[in-house]
Amino acid sequence: MPTHIQPTVLLLLLSSVALIGLPHAWTIAPSVFGFFYALLIWRVVGIWKKNWLPNKAILFLLTCAGIALLYQQHLGVFGRNAGTSIFITALGLKLLEIKTTRDVYFIVFLSFIVAATLFLYQQSMGMALYIIAVCVSLLATLVVINMRTSDAKKAIKTALIIILQALPLGITFFILFPRLEAPHWTFLQDKSQIKSGLSETLEPGAISDLALSDELVFRVKFDGAIPPQPQRYWRGPVFSLTDGKKWLPLLKRDTQRNQDTLSFSGSPYQYTLLLEPQDKNWVFALDMPDKLAPPLKINTYYQVTTDANPSIRAEYTLQSYSDYNTGNIGNSERQENLQLPPVISPEITALVSQLHGFDASPSRFIQEVMNHFRTQQFYYSLTPPLMEENPIDTFLFKTHTGFCSHYATAFVYLMRIAHIPARVVSGYQGGELNKQGNFLEIKQADAHAWTEVWLENKGWTRIDPTTAIAPERVEQGVNIDKQINSGSVNFDLGQRGSTAANIAKQFRQAWQNADYSWQRWVINYNNTNQAHFLSRFGLNNSQRMLTWLFAILSGLTLGLFWWLTRQPQKQQDHASRLYQQFTHKLAKLQLQKLPGETASAFAIRIIQQHPDLTLPINTITELYLKIRYNKDSDADDLKKLTQAIRALKINHLRRH
Amino acid sequence: MLPFLKSVAKNSANFKRKRIFDSIFKGEKPVKGPIELKHRRIFILPTKHGLSFMLLLVILLLIAFIYNNNLTYLLAFMLISVLVVTILSTFRSLAGLIIHAGQHKPVFAGDIAAISLLIENPGTIERFNLEFKIEQPVYYDAAAYSREPLTLYANTHQRGCFQIGTIKVTSRFPLGLFRAWSPIRFEQPILVYPKPSSTLLPFPETATQQALQGSVKKGGGDDFYGLQAYQAGDTIRHIHWKAFAKGQGLLTKHFSNENSATCWLDYAVTPGHNTEERLSQLCRWVLDAEATGLKYGFNLPGLSLPPAQGKTHQAQCLQALALF
Repeated sequence: MPTHIQPTVLLLLLSSVALIGLPHAWTIAPSVFGFFYALLIWRVVGIWKKNWLPNKAILFLLTCAGIALLYQQHLGVFGRNAGTSIFITALGLKLLEIKTTRDVYFIVFLSFIVAATLFLYQQSMGMALYIIAVCVSLLATLVVINMRTSDAKKAIKTALIIILQALPLGITFFILFPRLEAPHWTFLQDKSQIKSGLSETLEPGAISDLALSDELVFRVKFDGAIPPQPQRYWRGPVFSLTDGKKWLPLLKRDTQRNQDTLSFSGSPYQYTLLLEPQDKNWVFALDMPDKLAPPLKINTYYQVTTDANPSIRAEYTLQSYSDYNTGNIGNSERQENLQLPPVISPEITALVSQLHGFDASPSRFIQEVMNHFRTQQFYYSLTPPLMEENPIDTFLFKTHTGFCSHYATAFVYLMRIAHIPARVVSGYQGGELNKQGNFLEIKQADAHAWTEVWLENKGWTRIDPTTAIAPERVEQGVNIDKQINSGSVNFDLGQRGSTAANIAKQFRQAWQNADYSWQRWVINYNNTNQAHFLSRFGLNNSQRMLTWLFAILSGLTLGLFWWLTRQPQKQQDHASRLYQQFTHKLAKLQLQKLPGETASAFAIRIIQQHPDLTLPINTITELYLKIRYNKDSDADDLKKLTQAIRALKINHLRRH
Repeated sequence: MLPFLKSVAKNSANFKRKRIFDSIFKGEKPVKGPIELKHRRIFILPTKHGLSFMLLLVILLLIAFIYNNNLTYLLAFMLISVLVVTILSTFRSLAGLIIHAGQHKPVFAGDIAAISLLIENPGTIERFNLEFKIEQPVYYDAAAYSREPLTLYANTHQRGCFQIGTIKVTSRFPLGLFRAWSPIRFEQPILVYPKPSSTLLPFPETATQQALQGSVKKGGGDDFYGLQAYQAGDTIRHIHWKAFAKGQGLLTKHFSNENSATCWLDYAVTPGHNTEERLSQLCRWVLDAEATGLKYGFNLPGLSLPPAQGKTHQAQCLQALALF
């Protein structure tokens, strides 16, 4: 093995490393990123200017500088950001010290780890394809070192073939390798990793960006009974003010609610809520909370907030009733929740009137609106078309496709036109029961928007218009919901407009659909989804999964082995077999090829006895000898020989 | 049969274990014909880099597990599959290769023996960076459907019938993570002549030769006698090349002393402390006699060759010395 590293190897290696570092521009501190690329460029220059490369003393100083840079970031040693920065700095420093092939291997392996850290930030389809491309380049580097003549083109081709051959095996692993319940090791979490969740304003279409996020928001452990899925509404900010497009909460006039009008019945749910670090001081209590201990507070809209620092994971003990009556509301609260934009389109007024908004009881009207959603071809989708102008009109009369926020805002809008006080409530709905720990896990994907309508004698009553269109969303939780509404319904929507715009739209929708499937089937393929998916094939435990994993892997490996080591059939052998067929046929004429007799001698003997066969016998013998002993013979000759021998049977033997 | 195999055969209890051991490190029984590398002859193990690659896989799986990150899982699974594919590819770069043993030229002890092989790649795939090794590795790329000669070198130490040891064919292609090797042995011994003595002694004086000693000492070959048609066994040195170039056919120059100058090289009268030294001296004389164009007879215990001259005669004498 040559210990001297060829420039081709170095160029391939350094370009792969440059590519692997590039997406980290968005993830790590600019100083670390800059340091890494400075070292990389230094090394690239060093390919031609060997003397410019640092000696040991300078390398030591650079290492110190790298450590100082990391220390300055205050990231610690553990955690995503810290680990990524450490690996990248180490990779950069190692680049300046490439002496033997061992160093090249080390750098390539380190690059694979840096590639993995990229996935901790970005899991899009594009990123996956990008990393696979860089992996090809990294493997090509290894191929080049193992070649005598560094031929980058051949090496890349070889690496590509390896990746393609590995693909079926890799996919089998991915599907069947049993996923374990991921641990939540707090010391590995980033120190400054605050998740952004629900927003302070609401627009139709909001929340859908959270719908695919697997991020944990909070966990709830109940003392005693756990509320059924349709009652798991975790209350967040309440929106009353609107301009027809954007919805805002009311200004905070009296944050502490006078609770005298609120009354409960039935038995309470007692629970402990473990809230992940948040950027806002909202606490998502089960509808409707009672009895709060400091630092918790409740505002006029029954939203619970905390006085403690929300960026630290905190635990709260709460109590809620699912049966409640908020009692009467004052005139100002009534007016606030009837507020509408100054101009209301005649179509909406006509719709409200058609649904008996002006001439029937509020509960009847609510039923009518829900029926309207149910019967009028409304669709529930994560990726509805964009609605720039008059989103509510567009949604109600044109697109008919929306997410929970569309249904909630439109519903409140219709209620208010009919003079029924109504408001939008956002929060989370559902939550997945962790059977081992017997607690609920609420993720960003559970984010939801619903409405409250004020009814005489009942007070603020929760109505969820999404149940009209996608009852599974509320009854079964998000996972099933995602599966059912895979977004493919979007394709049926024929939009008026130019063909180009339509194609662009379809293309975008196809992309969104692909992205959704990617999120659903690749990114969120966790232990629950895996169990669900594989149980369809009867693989309902990890032992069976492993058995099948090994069975399929062995099968694929053996298949690949056979394919790789199969020898191309030699033409000579094929010709011999054909010639044997020929001699078998002649045996019927009482002509036997003697052992040791050459093909030509045999031919002469046949022709002596059967002069009528001269032409075919000569053709066959010539072709046979040509294929066997002449290098210039090709597949064409073999075909001719086959035909000649076949023809012999039809034309001559019958005549005899 | 090789001496060590003979001894092993006696000890039959260890025989089987020893044979397995041998097939891994020394190769199967030596054979005469071409050897096709098949699965039975090919061994494969991870290299140091392969082991560190496995460590990398463990780290990646750990990252994937801790962060519950499916794409990192996917990356780790892809690299595991790459490892599996590499095992097959490395194996494949040896499998099916056919190695023919060529004819080896005899050498003198202490010289480097050239071992010529013919490497045949019957398949469509190009095999990169194959390592052939007896003592020093030689690297070779076998193109698709190629059949090319390759020469390996081995040091010789002792005269005799030199069995070239195990030839180790190795491949680390494509990624260097696995090393596939195949030890092969050919039954194609090389004749190793004794090392010619470095001391210059005059030819031994024997009865027949004594009378003509004077002319021999002159160095012979000076007195041109005439041209004769070339006969097999005539030394190449004396071919009249100018005449040959003119198209007059092969003629051999004959010198006056040739017909008469004859000496006997006899083991019994060769000086030396031991057998090897005598053989070494005889070897020197054979070479010198041939170089000077002297006719020489050859006497070893159990072998006597009448005086003659030419390459064939020389080879016969040297072979006798090698195998004595």
